[in-house]
Amino acid sequence: MSAGGPWAIERSSTDYPVCLTDLDPPEQPLLYGAGRRDAIAGLARDPVVTIVGARQASGYGLRVAERLGRDLAVAGVTVVSGMARGIDAAAHRGALLGGGATIAVLAGGPDNVYPPMNRALYREILGVGAVISEHPPGTEARKHQFPARNRIMAALGAVAVIVEAAQPSGSLITADLAAKLGRTVGAVPGQLGVRVAEGANDLIKEGAHLIRDARDVLDLLFGVGVEPGRPQLHAAPAPRAGPPLKAPLRAVVELVGGGAATVDRVALDGDLAPREAAVALARLERLGYVTADPFGRWGRTDLTPPDRAPGGRH
Amino acid sequence: MLAAVRTFAILGVEAREVLVEADVRNGLPSFALVGLPDAAVRESRERVRAALANSGFEFPQMRITANLAPADLRKAGPGFDLAIAAAVLAATKQLPEGALADVALAGELALDGSIRAVPGTLAMAEAASRAGARAIVVPAACGPEAALVAGCGIVPVERLEQLQRLGGEDEPPRPPALSPPPNGDGPVPDLADLRGQPALRRGLEVAAAGGHSLLVSGPPGAGKSMAARRLPSILPPLGPDEAIAAARVASACGRSVGPAVARRRPFRAPHHTVSTAGLIGGGNPPRPGEVTLAHQGVLFLDELPEFGRDTLEALRQPLEDGTVLLVRARYAIELPCRFQLIAAANPCPCGTGPRSGQCSCDPASVRAYEAKLTGALADRIDISMAVEQPDLSSFTEAGESSAAIRDRVLAARERQRARSRGDRANAQLTPAEIEIGAEIERMLADAGLAAGLSGRGRGRVIRLARTVADLDQAEAIEVAHVDEALTLRRRESR
Ligand SMILES: Nc1ncnc2c1ncn2[C@@H]1O[C@H](COP(=O)(O)OP(=O)(O)OP(=O)(O)O)[C@@H](O)[C@H]1O
Ligand SMILES: [Mg+2]
Ligand SMILES: [Zn+2]
Repeated sequence: MSAGGPWAIERSSTDYPVCLTDLDPPEQPLLYGAGRRDAIAGLARDPVVTIVGARQASGYGLRVAERLGRDLAVAGVTVVSGMARGIDAAAHRGALLGGGATIAVLAGGPDNVYPPMNRALYREILGVGAVISEHPPGTEARKHQFPARNRIMAALGAVAVIVEAAQPSGSLITADLAAKLGRTVGAVPGQLGVRVAEGANDLIKEGAHLIRDARDVLDLLFGVGVEPGRPQLHAAPAPRAGPPLKAPLRAVVELVGGGAATVDRVALDGDLAPREAAVALARLERLGYVTADPFGRWGRTDLTPPDRAPGGRH
Repeated sequence: MLAAVRTFAILGVEAREVLVEADVRNGLPSFALVGLPDAAVRESRERVRAALANSGFEFPQMRITANLAPADLRKAGPGFDLAIAAAVLAATKQLPEGALADVALAGELALDGSIRAVPGTLAMAEAASRAGARAIVVPAACGPEAALVAGCGIVPVERLEQLQRLGGEDEPPRPPALSPPPNGDGPVPDLADLRGQPALRRGLEVAAAGGHSLLVSGPPGAGKSMAARRLPSILPPLGPDEAIAAARVASACGRSVGPAVARRRPFRAPHHTVSTAGLIGGGNPPRPGEVTLAHQGVLFLDELPEFGRDTLEALRQPLEDGTVLLVRARYAIELPCRFQLIAAANPCPCGTGPRSGQCSCDPASVRAYEAKLTGALADRIDISMAVEQPDLSSFTEAGESSAAIRDRVLAARERQRARSRGDRANAQLTPAEIEIGAEIERMLADAGLAAGLSGRGRGRVIRLARTVADLDQAEAIEVAHVDEALTLRRRESR
């Protein structure tokens, strides 16, 4: 793990995020953190967007959040969120995929991984970004600390994007706080009749900016059409290159990537015997290229066969 | 004048000995029945009275007390009629001396003195044999079933007056044991009917060969239910002990024992509205549930997520132990339930599947639906596979017939029997009982890292790989076997 153990930043320090001084009542005199301290200094330099949303998110919401996080990170935006299950985690994951810095604001101390299921994500965030908290190491995440955490998230981002939020919910409170602090609030429209989409749709009705993709967010940050002079938007995220693959296995990766989710479909489309298809999928899973859910439906991971990745031949 | 006669009560699928004592003495004519009888047993008095009168016996105009012991066992049903009548007859000296010596009796009386079948005579005959009785007297209709049990005489009776012949020269002879009904009691549907779906066919074959449990999910009309109902057609026949075990259950539940005698495995498919008691067993006196009726066979839970959460939760322990324990105030009974679990489900409430892009389900309902699948029962499921609508082109040719698949299944089972020198299928083995080479060991360690294989999942893969190797007639588990097993295995939810 980089940068050793937890650290603290005093309000008087030049590294202290200026945007937090907008808070009323004022923020705590010390900000605790873990991971890369320079990611905090970067908050003053780089554009910052807060992405929050429901823990009980839909598959659609998770995809949108991950994509937003990724594309914003590619564009050089620091993505802030709360590392909660669902949208928060997806936004962080997207930012990591996009190779950008991401900051998680925690309700407990910076060493308190909450929820514990996100431990792997926590470690990855520490590697390229940071987690911060108002509370010293050793503090557990308690219910009454979450509103304060939301306040900090609202203050950090120049824009706050709500992806999915039920009515009422912590995400909507964050949106409200952000608006009160003069931040721009955007929301991603959701499917009608779906409970977790209601809050975001209500926000749009009330005047929040409609967010369809990272470009909409960048327009809010920099003005319509202004490119931030950063790597191009929608550039493919740096793909992780996997181990080399022989042609037949590569073909199966591509079939799965193209939506072949069952062994039968892979066999049929790949012109393989059913057992060959089953064996191929298992090999690819062992290599990390594909995964299956508890129902036995297959999907691709972010791993890419090496000679298709940039830097390989062509 | 006092007489005592032995009979049996069926508790679950076991026979418990009950002693019927009759005391007949002078006084105001009356007939009292004591010893925790239920309503049907109390009505026994009327049947005994009429049956005696209509069989040429005399119903004594005296004070009669019949006691069913032990008193703390609740007696249910009309099966005690014959023993009560016999006790009264013995107490009033209307039977030859020694006619009832060392015999047990069970049967229901009709008013005209004929004797009706009762459930559980197979277990009763076994209990009589264990208790060292000379013979058990059973309704003639139950004779062939009871005669499946050796070690104790079986006396079939059609009418009450035949009791007079007990122990004499003309005692009704032991009937021949029930022979398998022709055609095993009706045709079993064949897998040739299932078009396409090669993965599902393979899954069923592996499940049948190793006794593994299977969950199939897919859109409506893919043939999931159709396929599951055809599993019995490729299962190995019941072994001799298994057949008796299945027959014992069928007999105790008042069902035909014909299929069990024909070595056919039970197949039970309870509807998802089944109550917990209906599925697991319950009530007072306790009655066996669907899991026990599926003993030595298949329990098919179609539309798995539609079952009540508590009902599924209650399945856990029986699945693990192979028995159901029902505890009542005064006693506990154990019901056997060693069955193979097959389940089918749609991938989400609307059926299209959350990854399909056409799913119109609320995410909360999808999650609740998945939680049910990945909750209580999931860790008891070995194989999980997703299927799609069958390809239209595949409808032109018939699938492979069950007979051909069954041959491979039988050969695989034969290997398992030879290796384990027992009757346990691969699904019942612990990973330590299955040999794997160093290469496979390494491969599994890698899979643990890359494919998220947990310790429990590892055992599942080893068992499945052993079955795949057995179907291949392979001595050692090879890499390709493990790879197929990795694909077949049910994954833990993330
Ligand atoms: N693969 C198939 N081969 C032959 N007939 C099929 C096949 N799939 C479906 N059918 C036909 O469609 C009918 C419905 O199939 P079945 O009930 O097995 O589908 P299911 O997958 O269980 O659907 P549901 O999810 O609605 O329960 C079958 O009785 C059969 O006539
Ligand atoms: Mg069905
Ligand atoms: Zn759906």
